[in-house]
Amino acid sequence: MSTNEQAVTLEVNGIAYPVQVPMDSNLSGVLRNTVGLTGTKEGCDDCECGACMVLLDGQPVNSCSYLAVQAEGRAITTVEGLADGDELHALQRNILAAGGVQCGFCTPGMLMSARALLDRTPNPTDDEIRIGLSGNLCRCTGYAKIIAAVRETAVQL
Amino acid sequence: MKTFVRADGPDKVTGSGRYVADLTLTGMLHAKFLYAGVAHGRISRLDVDKARAMPGVLAVMTADDVPDLRYSPVIPDRTLFATDVVRFEGEIIAAVAATTPEIASAALAAIELDITELPVVNDIEAALADDAPLVHEHWESYDVTGDTIRDRNVATFSAIEKGDVDAALAGAAHVVTGRYEADASHATPIEPRGIVAQWEGDKVTIWTSTQVPYDARDGVCETLGLPSNRVRIIVPHLGGGFGGKCGFHFEAHIAALARATKRPVKLVFSREEEFLAPDRRREGMIVDITTGLSADGDIVARKAWVGIDNGAYVADAAFFPQLAAMHIGGPYKIPAVKIDAQLIYTNRQPSGSVRAPTAPQACWAVETHTDELAAAVGLDPVEFRRRNLVRTGDEGIVGQVYDEIGLDQCLDLAVSAMGLPDLPADEAIGVAIGWWPSFAAPTGAYAKMHGDGTVQVITGAQECGTGAVMTLRDIAADELGVGVEDVQLVYQDTGAAPVGPGATGSQTLLNHGRAVESATQQIAEQLRELAADELEAAASDIVLGDGVASVAGTPTVSVPIADLAATAAGGDLLLGSASAPMPDWPSVSARCVGDQEMASWLAPQFSCHVVRVQLDADTGVARVLDVQTAHDSGTILNPIGATGQIEGGVMMGIGQALSEITHYDEAGKQKNPGLLEYKLQTIADAPTISTQFVEIYTPNAGPRGSKGLAEAPNVATAAAISNALAKLTGGPIRQLPMTPERVWEHIEAQSTGNSAEVPA
Amino acid sequence: MTLTIATSIDDVLAAMANGARPIAGGTDLVVGARQGKVTMPTDLVAIDRVTELATVSKDGDSIRIGAGVTHAQLLTNDVVVNELTSVADAAALVGSPATRNVGTIGGNVMNGSPAMDTGAPLMVLGASAELQTSSGSREVTLADLWTGPSQTSANTDELCTALVIPQPAPSSGSAYIRLEYRRAMEIAVVGAAAALTLDGDSISSVRVALTAVAPTIIEVDGLDSLVGAPANDETFEAIAAAAREQARPISDLRASDRYRRHTIGVMARRAAHAASVRASGQIVPVPVNRAFGVGENPENIR
Repeated sequence: MSTNEQAVTLEVNGIAYPVQVPMDSNLSGVLRNTVGLTGTKEGCDDCECGACMVLLDGQPVNSCSYLAVQAEGRAITTVEGLADGDELHALQRNILAAGGVQCGFCTPGMLMSARALLDRTPNPTDDEIRIGLSGNLCRCTGYAKIIAAVRETAVQL
Repeated sequence: MKTFVRADGPDKVTGSGRYVADLTLTGMLHAKFLYAGVAHGRISRLDVDKARAMPGVLAVMTADDVPDLRYSPVIPDRTLFATDVVRFEGEIIAAVAATTPEIASAALAAIELDITELPVVNDIEAALADDAPLVHEHWESYDVTGDTIRDRNVATFSAIEKGDVDAALAGAAHVVTGRYEADASHATPIEPRGIVAQWEGDKVTIWTSTQVPYDARDGVCETLGLPSNRVRIIVPHLGGGFGGKCGFHFEAHIAALARATKRPVKLVFSREEEFLAPDRRREGMIVDITTGLSADGDIVARKAWVGIDNGAYVADAAFFPQLAAMHIGGPYKIPAVKIDAQLIYTNRQPSGSVRAPTAPQACWAVETHTDELAAAVGLDPVEFRRRNLVRTGDEGIVGQVYDEIGLDQCLDLAVSAMGLPDLPADEAIGVAIGWWPSFAAPTGAYAKMHGDGTVQVITGAQECGTGAVMTLRDIAADELGVGVEDVQLVYQDTGAAPVGPGATGSQTLLNHGRAVESATQQIAEQLRELAADELEAAASDIVLGDGVASVAGTPTVSVPIADLAATAAGGDLLLGSASAPMPDWPSVSARCVGDQEMASWLAPQFSCHVVRVQLDADTGVARVLDVQTAHDSGTILNPIGATGQIEGGVMMGIGQALSEITHYDEAGKQKNPGLLEYKLQTIADAPTISTQFVEIYTPNAGPRGSKGLAEAPNVATAAAISNALAKLTGGPIRQLPMTPERVWEHIEAQSTGNSAEVPA
Repeated sequence: MTLTIATSIDDVLAAMANGARPIAGGTDLVVGARQGKVTMPTDLVAIDRVTELATVSKDGDSIRIGAGVTHAQLLTNDVVVNELTSVADAAALVGSPATRNVGTIGGNVMNGSPAMDTGAPLMVLGASAELQTSSGSREVTLADLWTGPSQTSANTDELCTALVIPQPAPSSGSAYIRLEYRRAMEIAVVGAAAALTLDGDSISSVRVALTAVAPTIIEVDGLDSLVGAPANDETFEAIAAAAREQARPISDLRASDRYRRHTIGVMARRAAHAASVRASGQIVPVPVNRAFGVGENPENIR
């Protein structure tokens, strides 16, 4: 197997992880199984659901369809890196308060897309929120309470 | 009750919450299934020797390796592995456990399988043809239970008969007939299912993404020949279900692999498997309805036939015909009724309970028809419904007399909330009403108060995301007079809690809520006795609240509940355990043929959905802009959870109405088992959705006068959209979903006077 | 398997000369390999850190879009938004913010899918692909580049380094619109791009290309006869008729050939309309799909 593996260092949520990964491994698999952060979910295998959304250098990326070895040297942010220690990020607090979490499976990816949106558009219109989160499917909520949570967060931040 | 905060919320927003796919056990193997890949055929060769011999492969199992028995409730027509005939493409031929998923996949490829294809029964009408091949050649030999009427490819038959329909139709001033055809769709939870099984001695623990842990346990016990106390089902967080994760199916395969290999074994479905393999597709349906009206616009008779595409195995669908028949009657006063409904075997993926099974399609058919009825007598559709719907004290189609209900208020509230906006020519408003039963089922709960005054409630309830289980915490806190944060739930573990029906039938709060009420009331009684001694008052005068026990009317005379708990910890422990008392079932007077215990409806829920739809007539692309809903689900215990259910149900309904369709090829195989081509609605498509509740305290139902809720919002949305589109296109579109191409062909047919509709 | 992370075009060309296949975001490849549709190549060269591929520049009388420019970058580039607006229309419709961040215009063009969104706009703007090897470079028109579904005439050692587009004449505008069943995560059922130049109220040049109605993206022939015609509904309908006439759609689960043939006309008409409005100096917000709402009457065209 060694010829197909490569030693890389992935920087996840500010921590450097030296890992040995197969060349063709996707980033979500390496984050979940090798780095050991399972907050990033896998729901569709082909960029259609957004559950695997992480940030690479601050930009949202479907980690299920991104080669892990290609992420070396980039800052990877997962849902585990959203809170500041025990202090929840405003998005996390507000999505709970608004009722925007039901089964929770889409939530990590949704939060990462929302974080990237607010970083580049601090005061988004509802349409901008919809576009910003349009790569994340949710089957539970009908989206209304998620939009409300992002709107509320923009007001607070 | 106080502001609702999900107890599982922090876990879910920080990524620390574990779902089945997140679990890893030392030494764990990876399982994969080999599927038939053809819709109907006979296995002529199955050789797993090469696969078994591969390095890294620890087990390959087939039907030869598990007990030879058929399972399923009502109609045991299913085996764990295909034995001789395969009846749909997702039928499991073999299961592999290997050291890596890649080796497991390679082992599947090494299995030698030949299947001689048999003629495919590809839809309802093909199944009913006189010379149709039988999906189950030996259907008569199955050991069915209950009042189950069957005939060849008709798996079950139910009917509602009341009055003399033919005479009433003959005497009607207007008779309207229509056919409505709905395609199959999917539950599509975002979490694909996962299972991990591990044996310790003769006991197995199975972590599984099921909505129904006890059904899963019972299925494992039945198919592998194990007693109930040696199978423990644990559900970590569940990533949605919508019925798609009801029923027992794959847990036994993984338990059997784990037993054979003496290693933990894990299965995680791909999205494609999630589409192809489960026995929980939302059923396709054909409905023929004929309704007679008086000159004034009263419904005098309805005659209807419903054909339901069951797919290859019945799973839990035996009651679907009876349920569909109720919806085709609808929440209307109809003196003469004859509705026949058939559940029909085909060589497609099995159908099963997906959020309000049969209801969105049947409601779409009957409410589309209702607008046609209104037009026939020249009445406004809302006025026509006001005239014919059931109100408090009325008799419904099966002769059940309704106690206090709020359907008429739902209609008025939703219609007036939408108002009469000045609409551009490409927009219209559609209205539909719907209903759905509440379900009672046996369950129980344990409760204990610890010496520090904190509480644990042990419940068999299953949280699938709705928040219903989370709300049990509020009920316990309310009964015990402590803060919500002082109550912890132990749930989703069959090894710990009493039996429960799981996250199915919108009944989690209705049943488990009553059990938790009763169990915690026992502790509350003990606390009152202790406080009575302490405060020298009568126990009946003790009030529990805000963490203290006090004397009614004299709040200063009080003792902290934690002190009482500390006292109890030294002697008689504060424990409660209770079953939920079963409510009385309403009676019916109509003749209900093939009864699957759905004839009368306990505490029916009612709803009205009003939608504003915009249509691009050049392309047939429709967009829902605004939705106003009103629901009678009795007392609302958790408003934020309740509105969340409605918003989610409406969005799912919009998908069913416009974009969610499963395409089949001529060989009976799904053509779009993926999320690019099976189109869920996205956040960019979401309309504004507003909700009002008609809160009627409903006795003989759930705790605090509540009814069910989670499925009801999925009933009427597609129907309302249909009625809006009919206004924009010159008549009803008789196919569901109303895809852009179908809408455009419908417009074309209207403008050319050609009534032919597009076939697919 | 090997992956070389390149930081210069020379690195990329050297790797390709040794048989490596270039990837930018790699999405198509990773997804395709997992679904068994493509075989993962033995050697890959990652081009997403080659900054010289990721620029948009004006070069004399042409505009050069580096092959490594992402859809998200296209959307925030003033030259693209103001002068190649149809390309921005298309970029805005691709997948989701995540796929727009990762996916590049070069990757899209070299994938050769007849359903790609940026292809038709590039074609009507007269773009050529700049293909480079370690020994030289050439420019190929898109019509010559795309030879079939997911097939191109590029050699395996040729790297697409840029799309080169002639500077549009004054009073020009372009637009891309597609038929979609939902508003995100969608793929074109059919789509049309139009580029128009006006001389007063009449058309001095017009090009229209069609998405997902033939084995490759195709340009509508014979529109020269419309030169001198007024930019009005009648002219737009003539464009629609030509589009319907020349489309060679198939039936698949997304749509029937009949429906595609009808809707390609609708898309061509709307694209031409929006392009003419833009050519007249008025603003139609990107993407045109949203400006049109769901109906024929543009909500945001003013």
